[in-house]
Amino acid sequence: MIDDLDVRCPIPDRGAAPILPVPVEGVQAPRPRIGIFSLTSCEGCSLTILEQEDELLSLLGAIDIVDFREAKSGADGEVDIAFVDGAVSSPHDVARVRQIRKNARILVAIGACACLGGVNTLKHAQSEHDYRQFVYGDRAPQFPTGDARPLSAVVRVDYELPGCPMVGAEFLRFVRCVLSGRPFRLPNDAVCVECKRRGTLCLYEKGETCLGPVTRGGCAAICPAYGARCEGCRGLLGNEQLRIFARNCLQLHGTPLAEILDRLRLFGVFQGETLPDSQPPDGPPT
Amino acid sequence: MWKRIVTHDELIERIDALGRERRLIGPVAREAPGCHPPLRYFYEHVTRAAQLSLDFDYCVYGPKAFVLPPRETLFRFDRSAGTFVATPIMDAQPTALVGAHPCDLHGLRLLDAVFQNDRPDEQYRARRSALFVVGIDCARPCDARATCADWGTNRVVGGCDVMLYADPRNCGNNRRNAQYAVEFCSEAGRTWLGDAGRADDDAVAVSAGYHARKDAAFTRRLSASVEQLPALVRASYDSHIWEKHAARCYSCGSCNLVCPTCYCFDIQDDCDFNGAGGSRQREWDACMLPDFAVVAGGHNFRLLAAQRLRHRVMRKAAWIQQRTGLSACVGCGRCDRACTASISLIDMLNEAAQEAGNAHR
Ligand code: SF4
Ligand code: SF4
Ligand code: SF4
Ligand code: SF4
Repeated sequence: MIDDLDVRCPIPDRGAAPILPVPVEGVQAPRPRIGIFSLTSCEGCSLTILEQEDELLSLLGAIDIVDFREAKSGADGEVDIAFVDGAVSSPHDVARVRQIRKNARILVAIGACACLGGVNTLKHAQSEHDYRQFVYGDRAPQFPTGDARPLSAVVRVDYELPGCPMVGAEFLRFVRCVLSGRPFRLPNDAVCVECKRRGTLCLYEKGETCLGPVTRGGCAAICPAYGARCEGCRGLLGNEQLRIFARNCLQLHGTPLAEILDRLRLFGVFQGETLPDSQPPDGPPT
Repeated sequence: MWKRIVTHDELIERIDALGRERRLIGPVAREAPGCHPPLRYFYEHVTRAAQLSLDFDYCVYGPKAFVLPPRETLFRFDRSAGTFVATPIMDAQPTALVGAHPCDLHGLRLLDAVFQNDRPDEQYRARRSALFVVGIDCARPCDARATCADWGTNRVVGGCDVMLYADPRNCGNNRRNAQYAVEFCSEAGRTWLGDAGRADDDAVAVSAGYHARKDAAFTRRLSASVEQLPALVRASYDSHIWEKHAARCYSCGSCNLVCPTCYCFDIQDDCDFNGAGGSRQREWDACMLPDFAVVAGGHNFRLLAAQRLRHRVMRKAAWIQQRTGLSACVGCGRCDRACTASISLIDMLNEAAQEAGNAHR
């Protein structure tokens, strides 16, 4: 139904940031034109932008929002940066994200759905026929939906701001980086780093197998701070970490692999039935 | 050292007096449902001495955050007036840390050696000189993972203004009857507590016998002495033990971040939306993190977890000692407890020592 591309989620955070016009003092510099778009999602990530109340005014002073369904209506024109939330799960989504890509200098996937497929991918536990029948009943033929995929499975994505929902502070940092022409990188550290910086009591002390050690941080470890284990919404740090995690869980806690893989399905972090092959980083032997 | 005996009530009263002049930090009990025991202690800000739990076992995190915060703004910069103006941010309010165990006092001494002597750091120095420290001795091992007895870090040799020892003769279920032997380590300490209680000339609580009994009670041991350890660990540089343990390692950095002597930080700049100003921030870094050793051009000179693990152990057991004369491991056991992959520093040291020792024979 939709193009059969690999469901895979590269994190393109290593390249240099494209430079946008930098506001210069005294001159009314051109402000980057921003569009905020939603595919199959709850649009919670777009709403996160509106929730940045303390910084919203300075944000709006520096950028020009030309299209944003949650806050204003506009025409699909050219934008400097398109922020897109939601997974690609229908032919309509495919056409729309291609159009957005065409009109945007920089395309940023925001939130777990756009970066990984997100909770939409839970339906993959059933066959396409079954989930469409379940949702649309007799009228299923009128609603051509398919598997939920990240944007990167359909178009080139320049940046990803993961999380369910995306992290407001990270979004603001991204915008500041772009405005000042500085490279933007996602943290390449585990969620544990932020638990430690916050002084949270580790959930492993209660015998819970939190996904924090293998999940990309940057969320301020908000779930463990409120007593809930990390479910990996920001995606895995790497396949090697996942393999180590599965092995440690079995050896140290007796947790079977199937249980680990099931947990990783919540946000579409990993959808395979077996562990991925991993390539340890090249380097001199120790 | 000039010794006195004070009662629990007197001590509490004096801590409250301290709290009227300074921000008060000390061990606080927090319920930890599902944990064994279901109680954990944290160094936290309190408003009254009665909120402190001076008979705590260990604090989950050391007091490092009060002299080297996990995140801080070093300065703000502004170029809106056409010139570049930087304004340092100094957040050093008078603070009293009350109830630091000997290992954590040794940890503070190491941070002092690094940030006050080796590489003078203005922010650290400002906070440290505004910090009044009251140590309290732990009469028994705080946890089965502690190895302070073998590192020689369960005896205090400075790093505080006043040191308290709960007198075992009067300790018991009734805390109100508790008495503390007091040792003074600074003039400020004498000013605070010098006239409280009564003089204690026999100083029974802190006799040599007290320390010997305490040392003997630890079950987790280093297999080599601290004098031999640096050479033995160095000799294991090319050993396979690093790869063996690193096979379980996530490179999550928890072991570094909970360590009371790990002092590495990362510095990043942030710009304001209008581009005219911004700030320079620093936050705790960790040498176990995959990107720690990435340098300009993108080269990572410690790409493998095994290389990072070895580096960390070398720092803890040999290199920092060589540089500062102080042990960089104070035996608190926090890294072993924090590692969700059950990788133990002490196991690695013992294996390294054994391997090197065997090779020697
Ligand atoms: S609670 Fe989870 S994220 Fe936090 S330190 Fe423990 S394992 Fe890591
Ligand atoms: S702790 Fe884990 S599940 Fe929670 S927000 Fe962070 S990455 Fe997502
Ligand atoms: S290395 Fe481990 S045991 Fe030693 S001081 Fe650091 S956290 Fe404590
Ligand atoms: S805490 Fe354990 S898993 Fe994490 S970096 Fe340290 S040794 Fe590795």
